Amino acid sequence: MTDRQDILVGAVAYSANVVPIWEAIRAYFADSAAPMDFVLFSNYERQVDALLAGHIDIAWNTNVAWIRTLRRTGGTARALATRDTDLVFTSIMVSRAGSRLDGLESLRGKRVAMGSRDSGQARILPLHFLRRIGITESDMDLVIFDSDVGKHGDTGRSDLDALRAVIDGDADAAAIGVNVWDALRAGGDAAVADLSVVWESEPYSHCNFSVLGTLATSRTDPWVEHLLAMDWEVPEQRRILELEGLTAWKPPNLDGYRSLAAAMDEQRISDQW
Amino acid sequence: MSLDLTLRLIEAVGATAAGSTVLLPVDGPDDVETAARWAEATGNTVLTVQSEVVEIYRGRVADPIDALSPDRRPGHRLWIYTNFHCNLACDYCCVESSPKARRRIIDIDEFTGIIDEAAAAGVAELYLTGGEPFMLIDLDERLQLASATLPTTVLTNAMQWQGERRRRLDALPREGLTFQISLDSATAGLHDRHRGLGSFDRAVEGIGVALELGFHIRVAATLGADAGSTEHELRRLFDELGLEPYQRLVRRIARQGAANAGLTMSRASLIPEVCVTADGVWWHPVAAIDPTMKVSDHWAPLRTTIETIRDEYRSHRIANDVLASTFPCA
Repeated sequence: MTDRQDILVGAVAYSANVVPIWEAIRAYFADSAAPMDFVLFSNYERQVDALLAGHIDIAWNTNVAWIRTLRRTGGTARALATRDTDLVFTSIMVSRAGSRLDGLESLRGKRVAMGSRDSGQARILPLHFLRRIGITESDMDLVIFDSDVGKHGDTGRSDLDALRAVIDGDADAAAIGVNVWDALRAGGDAAVADLSVVWESEPYSHCNFSVLGTLATSRTDPWVEHLLAMDWEVPEQRRILELEGLTAWKPPNLDGYRSLAAAMDEQRISDQW
Repeated sequence: MSLDLTLRLIEAVGATAAGSTVLLPVDGPDDVETAARWAEATGNTVLTVQSEVVEIYRGRVADPIDALSPDRRPGHRLWIYTNFHCNLACDYCCVESSPKARRRIIDIDEFTGIIDEAAAAGVAELYLTGGEPFMLIDLDERLQLASATLPTTVLTNAMQWQGERRRRLDALPREGLTFQISLDSATAGLHDRHRGLGSFDRAVEGIGVALELGFHIRVAATLGADAGSTEHELRRLFDELGLEPYQRLVRRIARQGAANAGLTMSRASLIPEVCVTADGVWWHPVAAIDPTMKVSDHWAPLRTTIETIRDEYRSHRIANDVLASTFPCA
């Protein structure tokens, strides 16, 4: 049983494994100085609303949800921790091998497949980095897959749909997150031999544990300390880390959100829903 | 095809809950290799490989053998049926031993080879059974060899320790050797009904001889449906004999061999105890003539044989766990 004083963490149910992940994390914290419970949301907008309303103490947010939280709290929200993989997240453009596409400039006038409109990695940031070199949406033939709106690209569904479009000949290139690319490469060199990396973005920050600035550090510090102590070498803890896609929890890098903040400004992406 | 397979892996396994499995069609060994490599790199497990499909477990599988206490892990204990003939013809005998049974003796050279390999393979204790091992004229030599190598228990009805045989018994080592003596009830009626007239008195006499000569003993009872409340009396007899809890074993008849009723068992439901007979290797000594429980025709190399059994046990346990998680009650 959890106590009403336990820290309450919100997370979005983006896959069947969210329940076992958070049950295992809750068990990991059970005997710590900061026991916790969790609640699940169907989308990040509901979760941010709940954080702002004080219904949860901590939100496990995507980068897009973090920017929204930050703006809706007038910049007072705090980020507590992140995955090591969140510190070096990138977006990747892939094409069929032999397409002769190389770099973002080569995508001008091409069919470019992109993921959900609220996915930082598969849509918002690729569009931002294209715009940086003067390529706007009207300079390409965008093939859009709004497959998992509300999950901010967490499901990887829209990345895979974009990739399928390239394989099926319906697009020349696809924007995907590095997590999906790494999952493809896990099948070995032969698995990605038919694909070519056209471009990879600069690293940016992705998910983090977000809290309101009003939550005392005396409440969050013990929780963060125990989170950062999670150990890859302990099998039960490694199971959590593998399912959640990291090898270690780290302090966040807030500078890594600047590109996304700029992207959301220029694309006029709402701070609300 | 490899890219398509990897995409299907990501989609299928990504949508699978931790602890559950998903079947994925594959086309040949290259696909199987790709699936195995992908699973290893992404923290998942290829559970089974069939001709055209791989079964992938979401997450890493904890080794079910680690969950067993060390003394129950397959390969900790090695059973050897030294022979199958017996001076008794118990009506529930799991291997149908009797005076008329085909002897199927493991000769001394092969027996020595088994013992040597057992020690090298990490076996921690030996159990010799039959048949009645004391029907073998060279059992003394075998017990000397076995007990000098590993702690050894020999199962016996303890009925033949008179005269010259008692003198030879006395020459056996006390250290590293235990006699597990069969005694099914506290009185002669029930015991003799299943094991033969006069067998109770001689078994009790044998227990006395073993204790008098200073041997380590354990007394094992096999209870049938007709045992009723006699187990209570049996435990009282164990008390009178001064047997400690670790020296007592009470179990139910297994529906194997000559028994037409009793506990049913299969490889999927029984923690294996590696068992060698002259006819091959078996999942468990309680089923050493059951064709469905035969693991291989020959025991050598023993280390490989043990590992094969451990692997199959892992598969059964993991499959059962997956099945349990596939059919939640609520």
